[in-house]
Amino acid sequence: MVSSLRLPALTSLISPSFTRRSTVSLRRRLHLRPPLAAGFSAQSAASSPTETEDRVDSKKSGRVQDRGSTDRVITPRSQDFNAWYIDVIANAELADYGPVRGTMVIRPYGYAMWEAIQDYLNVKFKETGHSNMYFPQFIPYSFIEKEASHVEGFSPELALVTIGGGKELEEKLVVRPTSETIVNHMFTQWIHSYRDLPLMINQWANVTRWEMRTKPFVRTLEFLWQEGHTAHATLEEAEKEALQMIDVYTKFAYEQAAIPVIAGRKSKVETFAGADKTYTIEAMMGDRKALQAGTSHNLGQNFSRAFGTQFTDENGLRQHVWQTSWAISTRFVGGIIMTHGDDAGLMLPPRIAPIQVVIVPIWKKVDEKTGVLDAASSVAETLKNAGLKVKLDDTDQRTPGWKFNFWEMKGVPLRIEIGPRDVSSGSVVISRRDIPGKQGKVFGISMEPSILEAYVKDRLDEIQSSLLQRAISFRDSNIVDVSSYEELKEAISLGKWARGPWSASDADELRIKEETGATIRCFPFEQPQGTKACLMTGKPADEVAIFAKSY
Amino acid sequence: MAGGEKKKSGGGGKKKEVKKETGLGLSFTKDENFGEWYSEVVVNGEMIEYYDISGCYILRPWAMSIWENMQTFFDAEIKKMKVKNCYFPLFVSPGVLQKEKDHIEGFAPEVAWVTKSGESDLEVPIAIRPTSETVMYPYYSKWIRGHRDLPLKLNQWCNVVRWEFSNPTPFIRSREFLWQEGHTAFATKEEADTEVLQILELYRHIYEEFLAIPVTKGRKSELEKFAGGLYTTSVEAFIPNTGRGIQGATSHCLGQNFAKMFEINFENEKGEKSMVWQNSWAYSTRTIGVMVMVHGDNKGLVLPPKVSALQVIVIPVPYKDADTQGIFDACAATVVTLSDAGIRAEADLRENYSPGWKYSNWEMKGVPLRIEIGPRDLANNQVRAVRRDNGEKTDISRVFLVEQVKGMLDKIQQNLFDVAKQKRDACIEVVKTWDEFVKALGQKKLILAPWCDEEEVEKDVKARTRGEMGAAKSLCTPFEQPELPDGTKCFASGKPAKKWTYWGRSY
Repeated sequence: MVSSLRLPALTSLISPSFTRRSTVSLRRRLHLRPPLAAGFSAQSAASSPTETEDRVDSKKSGRVQDRGSTDRVITPRSQDFNAWYIDVIANAELADYGPVRGTMVIRPYGYAMWEAIQDYLNVKFKETGHSNMYFPQFIPYSFIEKEASHVEGFSPELALVTIGGGKELEEKLVVRPTSETIVNHMFTQWIHSYRDLPLMINQWANVTRWEMRTKPFVRTLEFLWQEGHTAHATLEEAEKEALQMIDVYTKFAYEQAAIPVIAGRKSKVETFAGADKTYTIEAMMGDRKALQAGTSHNLGQNFSRAFGTQFTDENGLRQHVWQTSWAISTRFVGGIIMTHGDDAGLMLPPRIAPIQVVIVPIWKKVDEKTGVLDAASSVAETLKNAGLKVKLDDTDQRTPGWKFNFWEMKGVPLRIEIGPRDVSSGSVVISRRDIPGKQGKVFGISMEPSILEAYVKDRLDEIQSSLLQRAISFRDSNIVDVSSYEELKEAISLGKWARGPWSASDADELRIKEETGATIRCFPFEQPQGTKACLMTGKPADEVAIFAKSY
Repeated sequence: MAGGEKKKSGGGGKKKEVKKETGLGLSFTKDENFGEWYSEVVVNGEMIEYYDISGCYILRPWAMSIWENMQTFFDAEIKKMKVKNCYFPLFVSPGVLQKEKDHIEGFAPEVAWVTKSGESDLEVPIAIRPTSETVMYPYYSKWIRGHRDLPLKLNQWCNVVRWEFSNPTPFIRSREFLWQEGHTAFATKEEADTEVLQILELYRHIYEEFLAIPVTKGRKSELEKFAGGLYTTSVEAFIPNTGRGIQGATSHCLGQNFAKMFEINFENEKGEKSMVWQNSWAYSTRTIGVMVMVHGDNKGLVLPPKVSALQVIVIPVPYKDADTQGIFDACAATVVTLSDAGIRAEADLRENYSPGWKYSNWEMKGVPLRIEIGPRDLANNQVRAVRRDNGEKTDISRVFLVEQVKGMLDKIQQNLFDVAKQKRDACIEVVKTWDEFVKALGQKKLILAPWCDEEEVEKDVKARTRGEMGAAKSLCTPFEQPELPDGTKCFASGKPAKKWTYWGRSY
């Protein structure tokens, strides 16, 4: 375990290797590093739940004291959301800042969340007929230039390689920001007749966008994602595919990540550079800002026309293919953190949690230790065999009270406590992460494997759905229906999402962004019935749009 | 040539646009034009697509699924060893990259540099990782404080870039490739030593049990070891056609050299400050190239059942007046039966290709077992199974389909290994003198020779064998050492020999 206080001063991390860099770049790096250490040390250990003291005499046990540290504490979420987010990422060991400005090291605990996302989606992609493959990371600059709006959208963010193997390259190479161009280049060679369609592929890869304002997981220069790319014979098929994939994402968000995203269509202004239509899932974070958590694009024939990707149809005519692309990235991990966390730290949905159950053995006297540890190991074994992700925290370096706080901060859904009394009664104590204090704690659950296994699985299911329900209530109580620009402004100024009829111009949309900071997140698929008047112009509107500030 | 021509019988009921049966075969043979054969087979077998940037290749689903099958095995195994996955950035700042001197000397000439973002020049060019030691170890220094933080065992699956100018070859030498890189830190050298060999055994497993390729476990010479490390172990494969050895995967003990450079220290149980012992280990998509080279033949790829995306391809062989629908149904039912038993099977029911064309097509792609179902098979409630590795045909009753097919797949897997081992072993030549060495090298042998284990001598061997074909070098000193009688002399220097070492040209 790495104690928070052991994070060295930020300068010491970078100093040896960065002394040769200019002070300007050093400043830029530091600017991106919030004062992590200050965040941990300034707080008191106030968040330790009192009832642990009932059961555990944590500090008097005579065991080795915590190494020079008091309990790690994070900035309460209610106090400063951004500081809380950064603290949680550092303390829960999800990620660290990378060696180059705006990059990120994803640590095992954070990476395991990404693996949970991958494991689920990879299966769904294959079930829906997609094959994995891998395209090169480098794209000749000339490819990017082919689709006009695409290059316009991406060019400021492109990382360019101009030197390789000690020589200036003949053509500068783009480090892929996304792969539509190279995919189309290849599709052109693989697609000849309607029999070659649909062509449906996916890749898991890293992509690079040279962003100026970065935030761990949410926006980093390099991030991990999957990008699906498909080619179809008809517009209808492409549209169906784009909708199918946003549906896969929506189900994933609800059922696995317990995030009640709102699925819908992007406005023209917010549509992906090079797409006809962009579908999105929008999630409300704990600070009520919106996070675009996944997108699926109907690319129409924009890329196929630019690249000449054609096929011969059943009547022998040459046609351009219709395409889609869709992606989810490590940003989603940020979404999980910001949806479910609380003042005490992370709160992970059981289906995503790298550790679903943590077992904390409690003993005071040496002669109690063996019995308690034996019982704890056999409980751990029982649950592991039941397919659960279990951590037995049997170190004697930390007190049980410290461990309770630590694993709460790491967001583990269930905690099992086993003390000498429990061993003699053949039972355990189980606490839920999502219900703090005594309410979430149940005594006397039998250690008998079949009973314990069933009980734990039921609780995990309950936690999974309770997190979702809680997020739904939060979301719904923070969306305001508006019918005028004044109402919209008020809702946004209160930090809420505004939902109102919209048929005004792109210019009006941009004006709202300018004046309120809010953008159209989407036109949700679920639309209210009845006639509507545009909140801006009063003219008839077919749809309501959701406006919000976003990440 | 792929032998689709002979069976003109097929074609199905509706011959809409039956493709002309041309252009399917390979234009080069493995024995006569190995290099061209290889380039052609990886493309025609739909593993690779060439790309506009030299040395960068597209890995198509057929190759990717092989990578994924190996990944599934290896990832689960290292997780059992409590190695955790993580992800470090692609970008390396030059300061960190230059920290380990020997290391950077090894990699600097191959680094690709990002110098611009959008239109503007970066203040400091940023390197793209050729490997991640220098990216990761500053964090190890930060994360490791006490002995309780050890061992630290991390792995990442990622892409790396080495901008080489020597002849690029798909899978074998490409400028970007996929790999896993494990990086571990221990309190003691013993723990590090143990892990080096555990990982090496997993690599052997991948080659021998999955890819059906015999490999030799051994230790690299001082000259050939990983730049900046203490010692390097590897699994070495051999390509009989070219007479070249190929390093299959490496497991390095880095010793404390990086720990010193990056100040990766910990406080041991006695409260004293110590440096960690480190390992790093990797295997890459090169594995797939070795597999193609070892098993492929003049009809195309030959894939070992354990890694092949498809293990069985079922092809209907309808005749004019036969019960076409019945045959198609039997094919579909066969696929269901096999899939339910966990066998990766598909039917090729396309109507615009003849059975003969399909045979060639799937032979090119290397599917281990082909099942044909025609009217006679239907009548006898049987199928015809044809092995890709040796062409053997067997009629099997549909009653015992699953058992028989499983048995055949196992045999194919074993046979591929046996044949490859036989061919490899036939190339091994034990030599004792320089003259014998030169002769064996000329005959493309895998040479086992007694060696004095001196760096200067190896340099000298390289210098003396330099030529069109490339110089010979030591491949590895096998762990399994034949007896070395007293007084045995080094083949190259005449000094007393210390060990038996494999030599040859290599990829």
